Order: sequence, then structure tokens, then C-alpha cells
Amino acid sequence: MTSPRIELRQLTRKLPSGDRELTILDHVDLTIQPGEFVAVLGPSGSGKSTLLALMAGLDRPTSGEIRIDGEPIQAMSEDGLALLRRQKIGFVFQSFQLLSNLTARENVLLPAELLGVADPYARADELLAAVGLADRGHHYPSQLSGGEQQRVALARAFAARPPILLADEPTGNLDGATGRRILELLTDLRSREGTTLVLVTHDPAVAALAGRQIHLLDGRIERDESGATATAATAVAPAAGVPA
Amino acid sequence: MTLGFHLRMLARESRGSRGRLAFFVVCLAVGVAAVVAVAGLSASLRDGIRREARQLLAADLAVRGNQPLPPETLTAIAAIPGARRTDVKETVTVAAAPARGGQPGPSQLVELKVVDGVYPFYGKLDLRPRRPLRELLTPGTTVVASELLPRLGLKVGDSLLIGGQPFRVAGTVLAEPDRVSVSFTLGPRAFLTGAGFARTHLEEQGSRVGYRALVKLPDQLSGTELDAIAERLRDALPAGDFFRVETYRQAQPALQQNISRVERFLGLVALLSLFVGGIGVAQSVRAWLAGRLDAIAILKCLGMRPREIFPLYLGQTVLLGLAGSVLGILAGAAIQLVLPRLFPDLIPGELVRPWQPAALLRGLGLGVGVAMLFSLPPLSAVLRVPPARVLRRDAEPLPRHRWVTAVTGLALGLGIWGMAAFQSDSALLGAQFTGGVALVTAALAGAAFLVARGVRRLPRDASPQWARPWLRHGLAALARPGAGAGSAIVALGLGVLVVLGMSLVERRVLSQLDKELPANAPSAFLIDVQPDQWQGVEALLRQQGGRGVESVPVVMARLAAIDGVRTEDLVAAREKEAGKDSGEGNGRDRGERGERGGGGRGGDRRWGLTREQRLTYMRELPKDNKIVAGALWSDPARPEVSLEKGFAEEIGAHLGSTLTFNVQGVPLDLEVTSLRTVDWGTFGINFFLVVEPGVLESAPQQRLAVARLPRGAEQRVQDLLAARYPNVTFLRIREILEKVLKVLRRISLGIRFLGGFTVVAGIAILAGAVSAGSARRGREVALLKTLGMTRRGVAATFAVEYALVGLVAGAIGAVGGAVLAWGVVTRGFKIPWALDPWILTAALAASILLTVIAGLAASLRALERRPIEVLRAE
Repeated sequence: MTSPRIELRQLTRKLPSGDRELTILDHVDLTIQPGEFVAVLGPSGSGKSTLLALMAGLDRPTSGEIRIDGEPIQAMSEDGLALLRRQKIGFVFQSFQLLSNLTARENVLLPAELLGVADPYARADELLAAVGLADRGHHYPSQLSGGEQQRVALARAFAARPPILLADEPTGNLDGATGRRILELLTDLRSREGTTLVLVTHDPAVAALAGRQIHLLDGRIERDESGATATAATAVAPAAGVPA
Repeated sequence: MTLGFHLRMLARESRGSRGRLAFFVVCLAVGVAAVVAVAGLSASLRDGIRREARQLLAADLAVRGNQPLPPETLTAIAAIPGARRTDVKETVTVAAAPARGGQPGPSQLVELKVVDGVYPFYGKLDLRPRRPLRELLTPGTTVVASELLPRLGLKVGDSLLIGGQPFRVAGTVLAEPDRVSVSFTLGPRAFLTGAGFARTHLEEQGSRVGYRALVKLPDQLSGTELDAIAERLRDALPAGDFFRVETYRQAQPALQQNISRVERFLGLVALLSLFVGGIGVAQSVRAWLAGRLDAIAILKCLGMRPREIFPLYLGQTVLLGLAGSVLGILAGAAIQLVLPRLFPDLIPGELVRPWQPAALLRGLGLGVGVAMLFSLPPLSAVLRVPPARVLRRDAEPLPRHRWVTAVTGLALGLGIWGMAAFQSDSALLGAQFTGGVALVTAALAGAAFLVARGVRRLPRDASPQWARPWLRHGLAALARPGAGAGSAIVALGLGVLVVLGMSLVERRVLSQLDKELPANAPSAFLIDVQPDQWQGVEALLRQQGGRGVESVPVVMARLAAIDGVRTEDLVAAREKEAGKDSGEGNGRDRGERGERGGGGRGGDRRWGLTREQRLTYMRELPKDNKIVAGALWSDPARPEVSLEKGFAEEIGAHLGSTLTFNVQGVPLDLEVTSLRTVDWGTFGINFFLVVEPGVLESAPQQRLAVARLPRGAEQRVQDLLAARYPNVTFLRIREILEKVLKVLRRISLGIRFLGGFTVVAGIAILAGAVSAGSARRGREVALLKTLGMTRRGVAATFAVEYALVGLVAGAIGAVGGAVLAWGVVTRGFKIPWALDPWILTAALAASILLTVIAGLAASLRALERRPIEVLRAE
């Protein structure tokens, strides 16, 4: 049997806050299989983003274990973690996090270049076309709207064909229509590439897209609901007119 | 990942930063300009010397000494196939216009050059009329420097008295190939033939004459053949080091060495401004990276390793370093072109070639090196950016690796030392420089820290009467975290230190030499007075109002042996010793032996041993002499000599030593029975060697005299002496001091000029710090204005802050400069220390003023913004 894609065991993260210590995550256990689409829900401060950061090796746990494809990562060096992200993990952030001095195309190009993909330019152009920005590749982030920036970020997240995609409130900074469009693209690309997707959101409608919903409260898993409750087709408008 | 990817990333990453890093480029360019200007000018001078080496020697080879060349040498020269020889003698004497209407004509000290044969073999002797020297010069004529004639009221064709003999002025000389325009001269040139010189009898009357044989060798001779001939001639010279053989291939070794020495020193001063620029570089990199933290976090998030990101930013600094260096090189070249026009005395403009590849490379290398080195500490922050920053702004920085701090610190220290060693061509000097810079920097940084802390502790709420809002705010601004005041204080302080230190040294030395000439010091020296002339000369001096007229007999002699060891052997032994302990800079080749001003003690010792010694005899020592060992004239059995202590050390003699002199052919043994110290500052007549009376009275001798003449009487006395005692050389102390001062002023000007770069770099840094914080300042201004402060009030607030920066930097720089000057004045020049408080005050005021102006200028944009613009953008 293949090992789970992501495995968290007794994961705890504490942060100093003034004189006290704040427990952000409290002995969390979670296993995510390849190809799963998991939504992480919870109110502000429940530890959603920290969970995501720990899965990506952006942050280090106070205690507990994180395994990616069976390999523990909590003791890896900064370099080891960077290589892990390069090969296995893509990101989409609420605030887009595009490099402002790179054009849209260069932003998309970067992960593919880092990984040494055979023809990174073709890959970048393909993805830009997939998100409907084929003709905006030479624009800088500041010349794009919020929705367009997030589409570039989506294209970038898929550029290196990562087995895992982590999305942190990807529609949080966008209006409803644009947000739906982004989600549509995200789920569409995910099913095309067979990516494991972990999506953090506080919007139940967005979470309804996922096959599994993890509810966090005060750093603990309150509920873990499996079984698809919605599909992309039912949750959002059909992907009509989106170039694929 | 390929190199191509790295280069692409480098180009992409640089896009957003180009404008913002202008200060980086400016700071670096200022320092590089200073380095390139120094290196370029000295390389130009040396290049010029090499290029015109034959002209500067006026021959392929020359043999010189301060006694007539021995016949065996002349025979050896004659034996070289195809060689041609010209004999040259040089001395200093007084030339005068003939008497007019019973009054003696005006007179002038001249440098006499006696030429027999073809002169010069190479280079151009620029004469008017444009005819060969041989045609103009006969035993009855002279050719003189054009500036001499108006001084004596003569014109070409008139008669000129040299050594009392009339010579018709047959022409004027405008330029001589072997007389370098930057060197020290006692007076204008006059040419005579050998027969003409013989008429003056100056040689027999004891004038100090330099002898030189210029040799022209066949054209097809190779360099190695020339060296071999020079070596054969050296072997043919009598032992004892009284002569030296030079070839054009050595190209003025003494002059080159002097240039190297000045270059090393100025090179370090220039390097200091580059290092100050480096502080600015570090500061701009820090400000730049502060704006790049998000981008770095994203790159880490996308899977770039810290060690891949670090070179990205280091690469940026290298690119910027290249840009700054190229700009600096252009500025340095421009300085080289402009400087000779501004200061024609300083550098002969015709020699300057501003595009010296070595100098340009030096500027480029040091510029990029400093850019990388000083960027290292701020760049190491790249390693500490937490990738989690993409999710949480307040993510904790990654732990600081101790070895990173250690490695960057070590690299900085080693790098500074390496560059200083490279600039000064000496590991030791480099280490001393690095230590000094570290010490001063630590003092300045410590003071900046203390001031910030002190200001932070001032009671703010108590609001005493004096604390107007602008004063309180200004003071508080200095203490604000990240105000950038620290690096500005260090940079400006270093600048003040160099500029003030050098002006203090200059002022001290000049005033010591000039104003503080003792009131009873003589104003003139008379040399080569014949014993039978003394009575008349003395009467003349007194008649003309001369006071303090004194004279002593002088007997010329050579030191033949010390304690039975022949001088030649002592020289050989010391040469070996000097070769052993000469670290760097002392590696002089054989051609330069026996010349003073060579390299350090070894050179002094040889010169002390082999030069012509002047002995005097007297019963009682002058008041400015003090016996420090032994007793004067204490041995009734043997003839005694008293030595000046320093001279005794120089030649290696001590109490009880027996010095054997050759007094114009007669051997004479003298026992050292006392050692003295002499206060040379009195300018009285003093000798290294004083002999017991009763020993030298019958030896051939002249008299040396001093007199204090009324101001303005010197010229008349010189004219009278020239008319009646033409062999007497009259040296005006004030005039000679003026010439020495002029040389000193030139060097000091160069140092202050370069020190000015340090100040400019410091001001650039301050302006950079101010404008890097302009966003913060804009907000501050907006808030202050919203709260009702006028624009003038805001400006005053800022002015207080900058004034305080200027005050601290100026105060510490001034103290440092005073300490530096004290060291140089008391140790280097060995003159007493005195401090003019006014110059310190002026330096402090200038430092404050410059800082306030630069700071306010850099804040103008922030001051002009309307509050609503800033607050709306929030």
C-alpha cells in the first residue's frame, strides 16, 4: 500500500505572546491520501494557516511529526525543506504573493525553471492560457486586477506539477464572482493534474467543493467529515468560456 | 539549475531596485574616484619617468659622486666600444649683475651646471636662441634660466658675475631634460663650460660640487648589455661607496621610490573614503533588503534554497558595485584631468595619462570588493527571512547561525586588511591601518550608541522650559530605532578625522617652521668663506645691521675607519644587514647605494659613513648643545672628538671609539670622549663632529658663518657679498624654509583633498539614510502638520536631529583628528605639540552645518508633502 501523501501526528505549535505561550495547534492528527481534496475550515485564530504552513515546511512544529509521502520533514534543514517545496508543493495565497518585479509569465515560469522542467516557457504559456491570461503574460502584477493576479498565482502553483497544492483562502480578497471563477479554475486544474489539494477557507460554500472537510477550533480538529457533499458543477457556475 | 537561470533571476530581481540603489552607487563611486585618482596619478608619474627615462638621465648611463671621478673609472668608460662621455659638475653659488654707479648689482643664488661635451645625449634642452648649447657656451659665456635675468635686471648679451668672474649671457634655457619640475631647487639654473668654471676658482675654494659622467652608448645595445656594462663600471669603482652608477633602465630610482611612498600614504587615505563609502553601501543594502523581505519569503516558498537566494542578492550588489566602480573610475579620470589645471604646482599636467589600466583595474577591483564585503553583514539577513512570512507578517525570523555572524565578521576584517595591504603594498602597514580604522570606528559607533541611549533617557513627559517641541522631537528622533544615525556618525566622523587631522599637522608644522622661528635665530648662512675673507665679511655683516654674527672654521674630511675597521667594510657589512632586515620597500638595487633618502636606516647609515664630513673645532660648545655622555676634552693624551648622539648611533660609534679621518690626504685619529644632544630648532651653527682645539688649525679650511639681518636687508647683503666675495654662498633661511613649506603644503593639500572625499561619502550616507526613511518621514511630517506644527517647526525638528548627528560626528572626529595629528607631529616631525582651539571649533561648526544642510536637502520632499496626501494613502 502506498503511504499517505500527508500525515500529521500529534502536531503541536506554540507561539510566545508577551509573557505567555499561545497554543496555536494542539496535538493534531491528520492523514491525507493522494488525490484527496480537503477543505480546512474554522474561525479566525483557529490555526488553519499555521496548519498549512507546517504542512509546507514553512514553519516548524513545537512537537509532533509531519510526514510527506512517508518522509518526516520536521527535522529537515532549511535547504531540505526548500527542495521539498520545489518538488512537491504548490501554493495559492489569499494575498496572491506574486513577485512584483517579475512579469506574470516570469512568475509562472519560476517554479518550472527551479525544477528544471524541459520546456518551462511552453509550460508557462500553457498554464497562462488555461487561466485565460495568454495575452497578459508580459504584464507586471501591479498592472493586473486582483482576480487576474490570483489567476497568475494559480498558474504558478501548478507550473511544476506538484503532487500537493496548498491554498490559503484563495478567494478571500476577491469579490464573489471573481472568487467563483478562481475556484472553478482551481478544481478544474486539480482534476486535470490529479493533485492533492488542501484548501483553507472559512466559507462553507467553498468548503462544500471538497471531498473532505476538517473543522478546526482552538487548535484542535473538531470534526472530520468525509464524503463529497458537493461538486464543482453544483457549487459554482459551469466553466463555460474558460479556455482549457 | 543552470547559470543561465541564475543570471536571468539576477536581471529580473534587479528591476524593482534600480532607482532605490542610487545611493549605493554614489557612495561607492566617491571612494573609487579617490582610489583611481591616486593610483592613476602616481602611475602616470612613474610611467612618464619610465617613458622618458633616457631624457631624465640625459644619457644611457651616468656615474656620479661628490668627488671627482677616479681615473680608473674614466679609463673603464673609455674602454667601452663606441661610448661617448660628457662630464658635468653641479654646485650652488651666487650670481650677480655687475656694479652700477658704485653700487653692487643685484644677486641671486643659482644652481650651476658645468658641461663639457655633448649635452644632453637624450631629451631636449630648450634654449633661446634655438642653437646647440655647445655653440652658445664658451669659456667666456653662460646660459641661464630665463627667470634669472629679470631678477638681476639683465638681458641676453649682458655680463653676469659668477664667482666674481664676468660671463656674457649668450642665451636662456627654458627646460632641461634631467631637471624634474616637481623637485626641490635652490635657485635658477646657470650653465658654464669647464674652462669657465675654472676661472671662478669655486672648486678650489671648497664649494660642494657634484660630479657626473654622462655616457652615451651605441644605439643597438640591448638592455642586458647595458646592465652588464653598468656592473663592470661598478666593479671598477674604488671601494667605499662614494660613487654610484645609474642606467636609464632604473629610471630615477630615488624619485620613483618617493612617488611610491607618497602613493602608499595617499592610497590609504583614498581607501578610507572607499571604506566610508562601504558603510553607505551596507546601509543601502539593508534598506533595500527591508523592502525585499516578502519577495525573499515567496522565493523560499517556491522552493528556492537560502544558498540559492543569497547569491541572487550578492550578485545584485556585484552588479551595483560594478556600476559604482565604473562611475568612480570616470570621476577619478576626470579628477586626474582637472587637478593639474587647478594645481599646476602639484602635478606636471603633461605627464598625466588618466587611463592607466592598472589604476582602473585597481579601482574596479577595490570598488567591487568593498561593495561585496560591506554587503555581507546586511545580506546575511536573507538567510533569516522566515518563509512563513507569506502567511503571517509577524512570523519569527529564523535563528541566527553563530558561524554566519563569525564568518561575515571575519571576512570583513580580513577583507579590509587585504585591501589596505594591497593599497599600501605592506602587510604590516595594512594591519596597522585596519587596527586604526577598527579603533576609530568602534569609538564612533560607541559614541553614537551612547548618545542615542542618553537621548532616550531624557525626561520627555516632564517637558522642562527649554524643551520646545521641535527640540524634544528632534532629540527623540535620534533615539528612534533604525534611525540610521549610527552609520552616518561613523562615516562623517572618519571624514572629519582625516581632514582635520591633516590640517592640524600642516598648521602645526608650518607654524613651527615659520612663525615660531626663534627670535634670535639667524636669518642667513654664509658658506665657503675663506679664512682671510672672514674679517671683511664680518665687518660687512655688522655694517649692514647684522647681529648675532658668528663663525666657525670648517674642515672637510672623510671618515676612513671606525676602531680600525675600514669604512668600506662597515658599509658592506651594513648593506648585508640592511638587506636582511629590510622588509618591504627597502629593496633598493645596487645602483642606488650610498644616496640619502633611500630606504630607512640602512640608507642613513651608509650616507653617514660615506659622505664628506664637516669638522669644526672649538673650546666651548654652543648653548644649544648638551653633553649626555662622557666629558668634553677630558683626555689630555689623545686628540678628541665630540659626536652628536644621533649621528654616533647612525655610524655605529660610541664613547671610546677611535674615528680615523682622511683630512685631505692626511690621516687623523680622533677618540670619541663625549656625546651631545643638539637643539636643531634654534637654527644655530651646529656640527655632528666637533674636534678638540689644537688639532685641525693648520688643515685647509673655510669658515661657516651665521647672522641675523634686519628684514629686507638680506638682498643687499647678498649683493654686496657677491660683489666683494663672489665665492661666498649666501643662503637665506627664510627663503629656503619657504621652499620646504611649499613642498609640505603640496603633500598636505593632496591629503586634505582626498580626505574631502571621505566627508563627501559621509554626507552621501547621511542623505541616503534620510531619504531611505522618507516614507516614514513623510508620515511623520503629515502627522506633525495635522497636529498644528508649521513647516518651519517641522524643519527645525529635523535640523535638531541632523545637528546632533553632526555634533557627535564632529566632536569625536575632531578628538580623533587631534590625536592623530599629535602622533604625527610629536613622533613623525618631532616638534612640540600645540593645539589651536579655533580650528577645532571651526571643524565642529562645519560638520554640524554640512550635516544639517545635507539632511534638510534630503528631507525636502517629505517636508513639501501635504498631510492629506500621506494620510489618504494609509
